[in-house]
Amino acid sequence: MSVYFPHKKLPYLLVLPQLVITLIFFLWPAEQAFEQAFYQEDAFGLSREFVGFDNFVYLFNDPQYYKSIWVTLVFSFSVAFSGLAIALWLAVMADRVIRGKLTYQTLLVWPYAVAPALAGVLWWLLFDPSMGPVALWLQYFGVDWNHFLNGDQAMTLVVISATWKQISYNFLFFLAGLQAVPRSLIEAASIDGASPFKRFWTIVFPLLSPTTFFLLVINLVYAFFDTFGVIDATTQGGPGVSTATMVYKVFNDGFIGLDMGSSAAQSVVLMFLVGVMTVIQFRYIERKVEY
Amino acid sequence: MIENRPWLTFISHFSLLLGIGVVALPVWVALVASTHPSSAFGAGEIPLWFGDQALENWRSVFLGEASSGVDVPVWYMMLNSFIMALGITVGKLFISLLSAYAIVFFRFPFRGACFWVIFITLMLPVEVRIVPTYEVVANLDMLNSYSGLILPLIASATATFLFRQCFMTMPGELIEAARIDGAGPIRFFFDILLPMSRTNIAALFVIMFIYGWNQYLWPVIITTDDAYYTLVMSIKRMLAVDQGDIEWNHVMVTTLLAMIPPVAVVIGMQKLFVKGLVDAEK
Amino acid sequence: MSDVVLNNIGKTYPNGYHAIPSIDLTIEEGEFIVLVGPSGCGKSTLLRMVAGLETISQGDLMIKGAKVNDKEPADRDIAMVFQNYALYPHMTVYANMAYGLKNRGESKEVIAEKVTSVANMLGLEELLERKPKQLSGGQRQRVAMGRAMVRDPKVFLFDEPLSNLDAKLRVQMRVEIRQLQRKLGTTTLYVTHDQVEAMTLADRLVVLNKGKAEQIGTPMDLYNKPATPFVAAFIGSPSMNLIGANLDEQGIRLSQDLHLPLVHQHRGSVVWGIRPEHLDVVDEQNADFALRIQAVESLGAETLIHGTVDLGVKQEPIVVRLSGPHWPEINSLLWLKAPMEHWHVFDAVTQQRL
Repeated sequence: MSVYFPHKKLPYLLVLPQLVITLIFFLWPAEQAFEQAFYQEDAFGLSREFVGFDNFVYLFNDPQYYKSIWVTLVFSFSVAFSGLAIALWLAVMADRVIRGKLTYQTLLVWPYAVAPALAGVLWWLLFDPSMGPVALWLQYFGVDWNHFLNGDQAMTLVVISATWKQISYNFLFFLAGLQAVPRSLIEAASIDGASPFKRFWTIVFPLLSPTTFFLLVINLVYAFFDTFGVIDATTQGGPGVSTATMVYKVFNDGFIGLDMGSSAAQSVVLMFLVGVMTVIQFRYIERKVEY
Repeated sequence: MIENRPWLTFISHFSLLLGIGVVALPVWVALVASTHPSSAFGAGEIPLWFGDQALENWRSVFLGEASSGVDVPVWYMMLNSFIMALGITVGKLFISLLSAYAIVFFRFPFRGACFWVIFITLMLPVEVRIVPTYEVVANLDMLNSYSGLILPLIASATATFLFRQCFMTMPGELIEAARIDGAGPIRFFFDILLPMSRTNIAALFVIMFIYGWNQYLWPVIITTDDAYYTLVMSIKRMLAVDQGDIEWNHVMVTTLLAMIPPVAVVIGMQKLFVKGLVDAEK
Repeated sequence: MSDVVLNNIGKTYPNGYHAIPSIDLTIEEGEFIVLVGPSGCGKSTLLRMVAGLETISQGDLMIKGAKVNDKEPADRDIAMVFQNYALYPHMTVYANMAYGLKNRGESKEVIAEKVTSVANMLGLEELLERKPKQLSGGQRQRVAMGRAMVRDPKVFLFDEPLSNLDAKLRVQMRVEIRQLQRKLGTTTLYVTHDQVEAMTLADRLVVLNKGKAEQIGTPMDLYNKPATPFVAAFIGSPSMNLIGANLDEQGIRLSQDLHLPLVHQHRGSVVWGIRPEHLDVVDEQNADFALRIQAVESLGAETLIHGTVDLGVKQEPIVVRLSGPHWPEINSLLWLKAPMEHWHVFDAVTQQRL
């Protein structure tokens, strides 16, 4: 679009509210995080001293931090892959059915609206070692389920809770993507003798790849940041640190451990990571706009 | 589909029903759990069919008669959640409509700078900068206040970005026609831009409301006064007792009550919501 | 009294691009002026400057004697019809037409009266409560005109208003626009790239090329006496045949062996032209040159014959237009005569008519 209003002062007035909010609640804290990352503060916040890159040096020499990176990667990719796979399967099935499509959609989208913390609590109840039906059922089959003691089981629980909530989102996008595949292509492929299974892998799935890539990025971002509630409500990072993701550690070191310098340094690292993800995302969006 | 293969159709329906069943399972169990007395959970097994305590449990939790580790009743926290969710929704819509309007329809010095300052926040959620944001809000004396709950969560560019996308698809001739018809920028905004964007605004309203309602970490951190507790975060307080002492029936009533408003919004406005979500992100 | 005066109007973009160097044009009251030219010639820019949608870089724009360079579009007493109609999609037809009047602060009764009378004139009475997307292309076009008409402006501006319609509707609307303009007597500035539309609508045409006015005149002036080869080629369909030649004592020398006798004091390279409809088929001995036929397009009422003339160093493509059906054989020779009264000769250097 190349048509504009010729006004000089009005636009500043219009962007002012958002700029002010952004400056106070975004740039100022971000700046503080940067600053604090170079200081060491005592536990009561009474004094602090400049320590240069010590916080970062300490951070990258801390096996606990690498552990949290590992936990984050395992958690995020598990959530993203299981969420995408299940949602894609359901979307393909829903795209096939002729009757009841909307009903199925309705019955699958509502978990989107459930808060992550609540999702965690719901699944906790199912997997509670002393009375949860699924846990008892697993114990019946010889699996000694106790996510309060077993780190891998704790990870499984938070992955299930986080995935459960995200399936609806992925499902909606895959369904929209599938419905956008031109019917003539599918018809051409079946005239060429491709079976439904072959058609999916050779025609439909490649055409869905932009949607899949977009969802992968969105799911990773979701698993990184929006799942704090799942972890905090169910495992609180435990047992030990086996479900403490990077975001959880920022919170934990800052508010529970009161190690502001380290928490700030971790914030800075995270901001950098998010910056990279944003660039990837932006590239994707801009490319889409060109199409 | 193209050919009629009954077994494929059967698999489709079967998969979908299975998916729906698994997705609904936790809510079913929660619903059942909410109808039993607390004593039912000590027995080492959750009852799998409804009990007879439904009315008492829901009533006592809703009115705050049940002990829950929180001093205010659930209906009061629900009110707080509504205030926060609506505050965030309306606030975001307000500032992002205005700034997207400025960025798309005007050319002014430092436009690029404004654009970047706003869009740098695009994907950086409050969780990442939680500690310094807390300090800023504490400095501004906004702990335990509605403005403290609402304002920091408004500082995100998602809505601005979506409105920018939407405005950019508007034909330039429409603005020229409006100028010839004697409409200045203010009139154009109210007479033409807002009515033309109403579907997008409504869809974003749904998405933002859910986002606001479901906030967890931020209210946990900045509210120490029960009077400002929101429903979703109160779960943390109710679970912060020894594991054996958790009153699961009351927790589940609270959980279900906290889910109902956003789930109702999604189901009730499904068409709008799906359109808003899928169209906006694409 | 002259209605709209463009005095040395020019447009330079902020990036330094000289879109329109300078244009002078005086439009009389009630005149229908068409700006025509290929895309990118600056015709839309010129119209938008008159509308006030583009700033004027140089010169004066006067409407009814008042300088309006710095006035807002709404204050210039003009109305515009856009290529995509630019109807407000969320408003009814009635609200679309009433919007400008409402912004001007007219009373409800006045608005209702004006909108109803214009709607009657355009046959839109039944559609007033509809939204634009419920209308056909032709109906939208009419609403866009109605919106311009209710304002009762001093000048109508049209920006390629018919280009989104199908061919049949375009002819119908063309006639309608011309009739309406005659009836209302409103001065009109109309932009198009379609020379047929331009010829049929205009009282006077302005042919624009690269931001310059090549020629301003009535349709018949432009057809009979094009000022430059550009105008000659642009007006008329199929285009005039134009051949580079030399003017010497013997006349127009098309090639070593071929010259057409002419007495003229000018010497040097020229462009010689003749319209396809002005070439006559004759016997070999009366002919000026022979055409090697390559393609024949029979349209029933007329026949277009495409071929080449052998000019020694090159084969020059030529089109001939004959009335009625003809079936000459491909690759055969057609003997042609070019009557002198239909010649157009231009100086190849200055591009001016001799």
